[in-house]
Amino acid sequence: MNKVLLANVDQPDQTNIDKYRERGGYQGLQKALAMEQTAVIDEVKASGLRGRGGAGFPTGMKWGFVPRNTGKATYLLCNADESEPGTFKDRLLLERDPHMLIEGMAIACYALDCHLSYIYIRGEYEFVAYTVQKALDEAYAAKILGPSLMGKDYPLDIFIHLGQGAYICGEETSLIESLEGYRGYPRLKPPFPAVSGFLASPTVVNNVETLCAVPWIVKNGAAAYSAMGTEKSKGTKLFSISGHVSKPGTYEVELGYPLMDLINNEAGGVTGGKLKAVIPGGSSVPVLTAAECEGVTLDYEALLKAGSMLGSGGVIVFNDTVKMPEVLSVIADFYAHESCGQCTPCREGTGWAAKILRNLVAGKGKVPDIDLLYKIADMMEGKTICPLADADVMPIRSFVTKFRSEFESFCAS
Amino acid sequence: MPKLTIDDQEIEVPAGTTIIQAAMHAGIDIPHYCYHEDLPIDGNCRMCLVEVEKMPKLPPSCATVVTDGMVVKTRTDKVKEAVRGVLEFLLINHPVDCPVCDQAGECRLQDYYMVYGLHTSEIPLEMKVRKHKAVDLGPMVVLDSERCVLCSRCIRFFDHVTHTGEMQFFGRGDHVEIGTFENRPLDNPYSGNVVDVCPVGALTSRDFRFKCRVWFLLSTDSVCGGCSTGCNVRIDHRDGTIFRLLPRRNVDINKSWMCDEGRLTYHKLTSGERLRLPAARGRDGMQAPMKWSDAISLVDTTLRDIASRHGQNSILGFASPSATNEALFLFKLYLGDRIGTSNFEFRLASEDKDATAEEDQVLRHLDKHPNSIGAAGLGLASDSLGGIDGAIVAASEGRIEAAVIIYLKPLVERPADRDLEAKVAKLVESLEFSVVLTSHKAEWLAKANVVLPVTQWSEEEGTYTNFQGTEQAAGAAISPGGEILPIWQVMARLLKTSGDERVFSSQADIAAVRKTASAES
Repeated sequence: MNKVLLANVDQPDQTNIDKYRERGGYQGLQKALAMEQTAVIDEVKASGLRGRGGAGFPTGMKWGFVPRNTGKATYLLCNADESEPGTFKDRLLLERDPHMLIEGMAIACYALDCHLSYIYIRGEYEFVAYTVQKALDEAYAAKILGPSLMGKDYPLDIFIHLGQGAYICGEETSLIESLEGYRGYPRLKPPFPAVSGFLASPTVVNNVETLCAVPWIVKNGAAAYSAMGTEKSKGTKLFSISGHVSKPGTYEVELGYPLMDLINNEAGGVTGGKLKAVIPGGSSVPVLTAAECEGVTLDYEALLKAGSMLGSGGVIVFNDTVKMPEVLSVIADFYAHESCGQCTPCREGTGWAAKILRNLVAGKGKVPDIDLLYKIADMMEGKTICPLADADVMPIRSFVTKFRSEFESFCAS
Repeated sequence: MPKLTIDDQEIEVPAGTTIIQAAMHAGIDIPHYCYHEDLPIDGNCRMCLVEVEKMPKLPPSCATVVTDGMVVKTRTDKVKEAVRGVLEFLLINHPVDCPVCDQAGECRLQDYYMVYGLHTSEIPLEMKVRKHKAVDLGPMVVLDSERCVLCSRCIRFFDHVTHTGEMQFFGRGDHVEIGTFENRPLDNPYSGNVVDVCPVGALTSRDFRFKCRVWFLLSTDSVCGGCSTGCNVRIDHRDGTIFRLLPRRNVDINKSWMCDEGRLTYHKLTSGERLRLPAARGRDGMQAPMKWSDAISLVDTTLRDIASRHGQNSILGFASPSATNEALFLFKLYLGDRIGTSNFEFRLASEDKDATAEEDQVLRHLDKHPNSIGAAGLGLASDSLGGIDGAIVAASEGRIEAAVIIYLKPLVERPADRDLEAKVAKLVESLEFSVVLTSHKAEWLAKANVVLPVTQWSEEEGTYTNFQGTEQAAGAAISPGGEILPIWQVMARLLKTSGDERVFSSQADIAAVRKTASAES
């Protein structure tokens, strides 16, 4: 299989610009600069690349929404605020192959007619930011970035902005709000960022992994990319696998790869017991039972059909020693802690659900509390500005529905 | 102009109108906390969710702009359940301390609970989030964070109205609280407005709290007497005592706001001792109380006598820019038409110029009188005298022998204004015959020949003309009782005594004559 993203991450000197170029780096950018700007967007559209941050929105279409010649600057923001529990794929790319991201961003900026771009890196990744900054410095020194883009009369600057440790700032509008210097609160939509985002100008926010796929697509052509994957889920995707497996880590597979193969082959199988459940796309997607995992493939459509989502590709594996109410309590605590507090249902609902679960896990719960969790989920779902409340609802509903007897046994004790 | 249907009612609204505004226009109430008509949209409370055809989720009506052909439903089961859910969320961590809360009776949590809630709380007491209580935010405002619904109205007020940004959210999730940076005191001159915008009992007025249950209060619409801006206010009173002033919305003047000084002006009304009876100085030089009828004929006879001896222009009419247009109109009618003088003045300083000079960028103006523009408009300022200083000179030189003076203490005083009352006293001293209409006792009044007790702001019905030239009506909220008369009635009695046969028994009578007078001129 062709490795699009992780081809060179094992090379210790890959962060060096010369080594990166020796291995074919910045050729995608060179090729893109010889093309019309809109042709680059068409190429990405044709590749079928979808946003790898979690929502899976077609990247080319997102770029196509940006109005041109508005008289305002256009901004590309790279979302490196990777904070979804169970997800650590962007970190690998930033740490081991930062020039791939810079090249992807340069191509995207050129396509979008953007001359100023930011990488919003989560505060906890400060050590990674040093690596990325070094790569940026090299790119400036090599005259790839700066007043001219690889010799073409096209100024481009890329800056790093470090977040301050809020999960919500990974949501694109609160990322913009945070970058502008305000409290990280999601914005009401419309207006969408494509029309009025950063500094009230047209803005595209893309995930690190999405942008890293762009150089390969331009270099090898959309057809080569779309030849991989399934009918609707094209290309490859990184999966960060953690939990009860022998070899936890980040693996790149073609979309449509069987989930069980990822667990058994790439990750070396389940350890410490039998497989009990898997969260396939980061903590905010519905959990799958062991039985549901059989035959499921890792692509947007198959996971949706199985009642879950591909999300960010954070696969968390649980063996049968795990008590699911305890897992849910930890997840609920996370969302209660990370709710920004702007909308009433999320602010109060996440906190309330977390407290009920803490109580339940401590053996002080009652059976009606379980139904109250459903009620809270109904009261929260779909009533807020951003999807954080929904991200809490999905694990709550799926855990309680699929493992209800476990929750009841916690009450009994 | 887009047409839309709200709850089967078809209406047409200007482009750019939001659903909640369109609904208000159609007389349909959509519950809300964070939406405020004079603040930018925030969309955080989620109470105003409505059902819109072809929209999968319930959109917030405050942030959704109307489009042509939109079909909105505000009372479906789905909407009611969503609103009930939001309300339940707001109440889980609320202390439900209505019996000791000042907001009770005008609280949106109470109101909506009766319509949408009526549920039993499912959260045990020990699970509730504890927050700061009775926080001393500043001279005007006390905060109870546990009652706060975090609607951000107060934050947006300081961000977008005063542009000072004192308040902000602190913390995250269900531990978010509002406050000021490093607990700095909230000493903004407009801070009292956040108590009004707060839809619940989180921000309460230090001035009003624990004074009176709001349902015992009667309200009278008025216009603030604190300066020439003419903010529309509501006077809340009970048994002849004023408990608070609240701004009334007027988009063209004060929107929904008023300044703290204006809000506190009512305290000034009760400071000092009131004059209760008319009094006149006898041959022994001492003032003695007398009946109104005697006082009125004494004034009229003496003024006529002086006019015949020294000429009509030896008499001065010195008006107050705090009096109503009606009172000033009759004042001028009596002294001008009946006595025949053309000497009028009202300026203690440069009120006519200050009236249009901004004191800050929000509301206040330099002139601390409500009706300087009205007084100037009635021709009560004369170039030949040029204010009170000129009047004092004219009196000491004998060009002016007598004066009828209306003096009402300004409700807001600046340090520079403190010696202005002394100038009135000096004028009185320099005259052969002086009549003073005023509300409170003062030492210098002993020098006046006749003192007439009159009503002050909030006690007299009438109109005031603000800095824009807008004439606005103010009602009489309370009555001072006893022998105290409104200034316009004193003037009406003088007119009658002097032989004017027109009847001035109400504001409407005066308005009719004013209308003819302005048509003639």
